[in-house]
Amino acid sequence: MSRGIANYIVGRFLQSVMVLWVIVTLLFLLFRLAPSNPMASYIDTEFTKEQEQALLARFGLDRPLHEQYVIYLINLLKLDLGDTFHYAGTSVIDILRADLPNTLYLTLCSLLLAYSVGVLGGIAMAALRGSRIERVGTTFTLMTRAAPQFWVGMLLLTFFAFQWKLLPSSGIGPAVVRYRWETEWDKLLSPIFWRHMILPTFTLAVYLHGLPLLLMRSNMLEVLDQDFIVMGRLAGYSERRLMIQYAARNAVLPVLTALTLGIGYSIGGNVVIETVFAWPGLGRTLVRAVQSADYPLAQGAFFLIALIIVIMNFIADLLYSLLDPRVGASAQAQIS
Amino acid sequence: MTILSIRNLKVDYATQDGVVQAVDGVSLDVAEGQHLGLIGESGCGKTTLLKAIVQVLPRNGRIVAGEINFKGTDLLQLSRTDMRQLRWREIATIPQASMDSLNPVQRVGKQLTKLLSVRGGHDKRAAKRRAVDLFDLVGLDSDRLSHYPHEFSGGMKQRAVIAMALALEPSLLIADEPVTALDVIVQHQILEVLRRLEEELNLTVMLITHDISVVAQVCDSVAVMYAGRIVEQADAGPFFASPAHPYSLGLQQAFPNLARPRDQLVSIEGYPPDLREPPTGCRFAERCPFVLDACHSDDPQLQLVGADRYAACLRSSEMDALRLQAEDPALWQQVEVVQATAGPQETWGDSASRAQDGSAEWAGQPGAYADAVATGSDSGADDILLELRDVSKRFKVGGGLAGLLRGDKEQTVYAVNNISFSLRRGESLGLAGESGCGKSTTGKLLVKLLDASDGEIDFDGVDLTALDGENLLGFRRRAQLMFQNPFEALNPRFTLYRSLTEPLIIHGWTDENERLERVVETLDRVNLRPAEVFLDKYPHQLSGGQLQRVVLARALVLQPDFLVADEPVSMLDVSVRAGILNTTRRLARELGLATVYISHDLSLLQYTCDRIAIMYLGEIVEIGPSQQIISNPQHPYTQALIAAVPVPDPTIENPPLRIREGVPRPTEQFIGCPFSQRCPEVMEACLSVRPPQVSDDEGHITQCHLYGEHSASPKLKDSNGTRA
Amino acid sequence: MQQEAMVRGELRGKKTVQFRQGSALRQLWETNLEVFQRDKLALLGLFIFAFFTLVAVFAPLIAPNDPLTPLKDANGDWIKDVVPYWMAVPGEDEAEGYVNTFHLGTTNIGRDIFSQLIYGSRAALLVGFSAAIAVAVIGTVVGLLAGYYGGWIDTLLMRAADVAFGIPFIPFIIVISAFFDPSIWNVVVAMAVLLWRDSSRVIRSQVLVIKEQAFVSAAKVSGASELRIIFVYIAPSILPLSFLYGTLAIAWAILTEASVSFLGFSDPDTISWGYMLQDAFNSLALSREAFYWIVPPGLCIMLTVMAGFFIGRGYEEVLFPRLRRM
Repeated sequence: MSRGIANYIVGRFLQSVMVLWVIVTLLFLLFRLAPSNPMASYIDTEFTKEQEQALLARFGLDRPLHEQYVIYLINLLKLDLGDTFHYAGTSVIDILRADLPNTLYLTLCSLLLAYSVGVLGGIAMAALRGSRIERVGTTFTLMTRAAPQFWVGMLLLTFFAFQWKLLPSSGIGPAVVRYRWETEWDKLLSPIFWRHMILPTFTLAVYLHGLPLLLMRSNMLEVLDQDFIVMGRLAGYSERRLMIQYAARNAVLPVLTALTLGIGYSIGGNVVIETVFAWPGLGRTLVRAVQSADYPLAQGAFFLIALIIVIMNFIADLLYSLLDPRVGASAQAQIS
Repeated sequence: MTILSIRNLKVDYATQDGVVQAVDGVSLDVAEGQHLGLIGESGCGKTTLLKAIVQVLPRNGRIVAGEINFKGTDLLQLSRTDMRQLRWREIATIPQASMDSLNPVQRVGKQLTKLLSVRGGHDKRAAKRRAVDLFDLVGLDSDRLSHYPHEFSGGMKQRAVIAMALALEPSLLIADEPVTALDVIVQHQILEVLRRLEEELNLTVMLITHDISVVAQVCDSVAVMYAGRIVEQADAGPFFASPAHPYSLGLQQAFPNLARPRDQLVSIEGYPPDLREPPTGCRFAERCPFVLDACHSDDPQLQLVGADRYAACLRSSEMDALRLQAEDPALWQQVEVVQATAGPQETWGDSASRAQDGSAEWAGQPGAYADAVATGSDSGADDILLELRDVSKRFKVGGGLAGLLRGDKEQTVYAVNNISFSLRRGESLGLAGESGCGKSTTGKLLVKLLDASDGEIDFDGVDLTALDGENLLGFRRRAQLMFQNPFEALNPRFTLYRSLTEPLIIHGWTDENERLERVVETLDRVNLRPAEVFLDKYPHQLSGGQLQRVVLARALVLQPDFLVADEPVSMLDVSVRAGILNTTRRLARELGLATVYISHDLSLLQYTCDRIAIMYLGEIVEIGPSQQIISNPQHPYTQALIAAVPVPDPTIENPPLRIREGVPRPTEQFIGCPFSQRCPEVMEACLSVRPPQVSDDEGHITQCHLYGEHSASPKLKDSNGTRA
Repeated sequence: MQQEAMVRGELRGKKTVQFRQGSALRQLWETNLEVFQRDKLALLGLFIFAFFTLVAVFAPLIAPNDPLTPLKDANGDWIKDVVPYWMAVPGEDEAEGYVNTFHLGTTNIGRDIFSQLIYGSRAALLVGFSAAIAVAVIGTVVGLLAGYYGGWIDTLLMRAADVAFGIPFIPFIIVISAFFDPSIWNVVVAMAVLLWRDSSRVIRSQVLVIKEQAFVSAAKVSGASELRIIFVYIAPSILPLSFLYGTLAIAWAILTEASVSFLGFSDPDTISWGYMLQDAFNSLALSREAFYWIVPPGLCIMLTVMAGFFIGRGYEEVLFPRLRRM
């Protein structure tokens, strides 16, 4: 039994490593074989041949492709993502290290909000199935999923930041304040930072709550249909107990998995929100890097986002096998 | 003392197509200590009755009228909370498919202790102690408390559910189909548990089932339900000796009975009435062979017809005479009407003559078919159609690239091991055994849905593994398969004509008229008449029995000479089972078809087959003429299987079983006998030496050490089956 | 839908019978009918798509001005930052040298917002429908192959799906858009490359279920070839699923195109709703509370995306009856 789970975990881990390797390779090819020369925007027309060569050599771009690939892989393993084109001497990893926490705060807060609302809402929708409230509720949720995040952000900005001037419109805090934050803790303890978080968090949560809500609702309906609920009812358990302790407890498992996956995908998807609110996170850095053709930085940011997604996908699998006792066993022995 | 008394109960379901009166005026009394069996086919309202008693009807269900008195209180007057408190404390209900009724993500013991603490008010420690006791009571090891449901076998889950139902010491236990879908040995053991509990706990039990033999084994009184009504109620003894309603009569004679084999089973043809518009007269009139004109207009009420027995039939006074007539299957055959659901209700009195017309034309069809039929009637050595020599089938599970990544160890499942047998033209052979014994795999090998891993399967002298292209297509024309579940065997997107014409198209019949002719003719043969009515129907418009006839028709449309029928009636209602079996058997005889029936039901095989082979863990442990196998079984496993089959006769009590339930997984090959783990007669030699095949003159072969040179080897168990 | 084959024949030379034969396409058509009959929201979704399709086709007739050309008044000045005529306050928003006929005003460089909105439907629908077709076709083919053949084909395709699941969607599109010339086709290509992952997994598991069903074995026993089994027996059963994922892909494609345009990675010569919002955002329309500029493009995106969701939900309820609102 536990051996089954251990095997499953090891297997999944190896699979994730393989997936990551393929992605990293694709990334390498994408950036090297792109139609436009990665150095084109960097190399000044005034440069001499020697200067150009020196520059290429500095970024290792003068070597044969397979050598570049090996160097690239070794560097990745050392988490060395190279230097950016634009801020000479700044390593990509330093920039990303500064961005990552901001992205994480935003993602985790909004997911927490969205999934709390979503799970409770989903239970409520399942309990109220067939009623007018349910119809209106789920339709409204579909609308929030259909509204572009950046547009919702823009509307909220217009009202809360510009019309009513209740909340700041962009960034994580004025420069003077930011200057005083020496550590992450200073930032986290600052009310100014949290005030800046409100609007982007809320905007993201408006969009994100739809998935857990609809998922929870449909899982609940499915579980409520299962034989063990019928038996619970026959056994004289109260409807409330059946709903919460039986149905919801079983129905929430896939939602927890979705939450784990959601962390990965939101970090990748935050790009738009971070741009609207000028939030100094991974996504905005990626957009700016791509816009200014800073390929090492873009590549690094992309890699980091993909890494987080793959890790989260792996954790989701783990979580599922731990929460649902059937998974490990079925992976171990699919004997008919 | 009457513990449960139902008076004139009516339950309606509101559906899109109208109001279904599922239970329509049922009155029923259950006395304390009574063990009542409620018999009826699907859709008769028996499960609805159960749900109405404990008031867990689905949303569209409504109790329209009546009273349900339990120990003097009308349950329908109770508040929701009071009713809820009553469930499982006073009335414990075990739902249908209760094997799936355990919460899949909670340990079984936890589910039990939770029930005890939440509903029973036990504290934690007391709940744990009681859980151990309860597991002990139903014959489960208390180590099992910490397991999840998926680690239980079907029988163990059923035991656990029974333990839960008894946890709060109810005074009435209602079990809905508690042994359906279980293997016969497991079934026997669950029934034994129930019987023991009835005695030990002095339980009042109401057992709902379609299987009258189950009732015969555990109940002391019987109620028969038909189309929302109780049509007969009596004590078990008199009921089985002399049923007092034509429907009960039919049911009783529709069941194959190992103890009293018969030539021809009774098939109650036709279908129950539409309960959206129930007939004004007797509900059984349409299917009743004793029907009078008055039956169509007068609605018979349940009335006293003898000492403590009730029946709802206008002719109940003549029942003794009718009972004698009912012995004749031909009487029932007269109403062999298989109507199209939407079609006009016509009676085809001349069915026999039509069938003969059909067979004359049939033989004149193109192809070598007529020759095959001709040779089929001879008997000789080159009469062998199919021969298996040392055939094995192994499956690899896990492994592969994905398995390697996942870290699964590759496992081999030995589904079929070294089986050999042959089949003559026109002969019928039954394959029997518990689930997982390899009988279905063998069936698939025979029609080349799977290829054998080892050994040879010769069909008419040609090895199946070597077939391809044209030759394979030729084989496909001659060998067909009939499936277990008629609801899945037909493409739901095709009309019946499309489904039936597909094989013809594949085999190059280009002329639409010829195809149509053949399809109509085949439908006619399987008693779907008038055939034209069925052509543009979709599968969902037909009943299970009709569909299975269509499945048979599709198997026969190419006029094969070999048919494999995999559990052909296990999904069907008892009343129509015999009809399908009779038709299949008749056609096999008429057409000289060699047939392999696969079934877990030995009494069915005895009825349909010339020979029976018993399989265990992929091996044939015994094979021989049907009568010999049933009346003189040699192998301990065959003996156990036969002993476990419930007999629809309360006067015959099943002997106690000497083997335990649970077939081991076939993931290893045995040095000795595969049955040695469970065998009550196990000897030292069985563990290390392969058992010999011992044969008598009549081709009765047994693979067992008891009859070979090692028969004197020391026994490892005493006579009670416990290890010495 | 196609005319269904009728079978006509003579029976034993006497009786003529005639009846419907039934076909996969007819069943598909019936599924579609069922979706829109039982779900009014799905029908609404269909109407929304129909409406925007008409708008897109007849855009040149409906739009009063060219969406890209900045407009000049009689004096040669840009007609910029004009509020819609129905919002104009007499005395404050005086029009000089031109008549304010702008339904939704003009942008900060004098382009007609209403005309942009009309033309924007073209980009949205073009991206939506082509991405939907690509996702449905690739997902169906991959799902069919992986599910039916199993073995190494399955392993290969499903590991490829794992890889696709590991690639962040929007960042991928941004990178693609930056490397290739800006074009709305980047979104379509990127969606086709990544979004088959969901549909192929679901279709694969559905194929696994269908392939084990007895009627498929029956076809095999009758001698049906593999191609016949795939195309006659399995494919028609999964087509509704392809439809479902197709309609959802329309929604995601429109949403994604909007996001990518908003981030500034779209072709500046193609007007799209996302591009309009980017334009508004960058020209500080927010601080001016120019709702007439911000609200309409967002509403259009929301409507079209919702239409896709509504139709998808309708399919879900027919395909997975358990989710039905009881």
